[in-house]
Amino acid sequence: MTTEATAEATTEAPAAPREYSWRMPANWWTRNRHYFLYTVREFTALPLALWLLWLLVEIRRAGDGPARYAPHSSTAFVVFSVVVLAFALYHSYTFLTLAGTILHFKVLDRPVPARLIVLSQFAAWAAASVVVAFVLIWFAHE
Amino acid sequence: MPDKTITVRATRFDPERDREPRMQSYEVPFTDESMVVLDALNHVKSHIDGSLSYRWSCRMGICGSCGMMVNGTPKLTCNAFLRDYWPRPVVVQPLNNFPIIRDLVIDMDDFMHKLKSIKPWIIRKQELPLGAGEHRQSNEQIDDFRQFSECINCMLCYAACPVYGLNNEFLGPAATALARRYNLDSRDQGLKERLPVLGEAEGIWECSFVGECSVVCPKGVDPAKAIQQTKLDTTMRFVLPYGNRE
Repeated sequence: MTTEATAEATTEAPAAPREYSWRMPANWWTRNRHYFLYTVREFTALPLALWLLWLLVEIRRAGDGPARYAPHSSTAFVVFSVVVLAFALYHSYTFLTLAGTILHFKVLDRPVPARLIVLSQFAAWAAASVVVAFVLIWFAHE
Repeated sequence: MPDKTITVRATRFDPERDREPRMQSYEVPFTDESMVVLDALNHVKSHIDGSLSYRWSCRMGICGSCGMMVNGTPKLTCNAFLRDYWPRPVVVQPLNNFPIIRDLVIDMDDFMHKLKSIKPWIIRKQELPLGAGEHRQSNEQIDDFRQFSECINCMLCYAACPVYGLNNEFLGPAATALARRYNLDSRDQGLKERLPVLGEAEGIWECSFVGECSVVCPKGVDPAKAIQQTKLDTTMRFVLPYGNRE
């Protein structure tokens, strides 16, 4: 092998062209209405989880018997509960609306329309709410 | 110079000179109401600055080559009319969520790798001889997968997906939609070959249903639907007795 050939063989291969890597901006969720609504939808689960943890605490307190139990009723807690209720309703609405996209099945070899699936979900939600409300009111009168 | 012009602001990036992308403005004659953003880029390339780099081919919304961010939204530039933006400037940038090679050209290797991984072709356990005739399908069987077969691999859905932007290991919308297209095809028998790719942590389960992929699709495909329905189907296969049968 000649000196020239050796030099050519040891020459490093040219570096691959440099690319500019993508970096997601921290405020990506404010750049589009859909991104913002998606972020709100996901975020609503957090205060709801906090309220449910509080409910567990209340259930434990209620275990001491009705005579020694007084429900937490400060103004701050009432306001927090109302805000959480609004979040829960929004979260439920988005969840049930998306069911039309997720659920898919056929009846008599014909696909059930997404709108019908969504309506059935809301009907089931309303029926379950009525049953729960009835049980709670019935127990309160006992 | 004609009276009516439109300002086009395009991303410029020369990997040998620039540390990061920069924007450059061009004044383009807006002579015809049917002009699209791609026409404006072609005018810049032909008459103002021949060094501007971008991809395009068919100019009729079929090849999927000319996808770019137009005023912050992923669009096929051959299908984005200047009249919808004039008199405001049109800002043209490379597709979000991908590395930039030069100017408006992105590196699509990651997508091509993902596309290949889901085996987007009809898989048969045993090919029938040609003499056995064609694989016949009813209209209802075609309707099961038709919309997913409209995908043109333009990658607008990937540019719209913040989940992919935050974690590019995610399989992503178009690849999943095409996997579903073949899984729903009555002629295909490759479900079990695609399930390991779909079912891994960075597959369908990474999606948190933002839904923007379906909003930006220029062909009316609903990749978000494909992903959520695949989640449901794979769960049913796991939960139901004998669900894992073909």
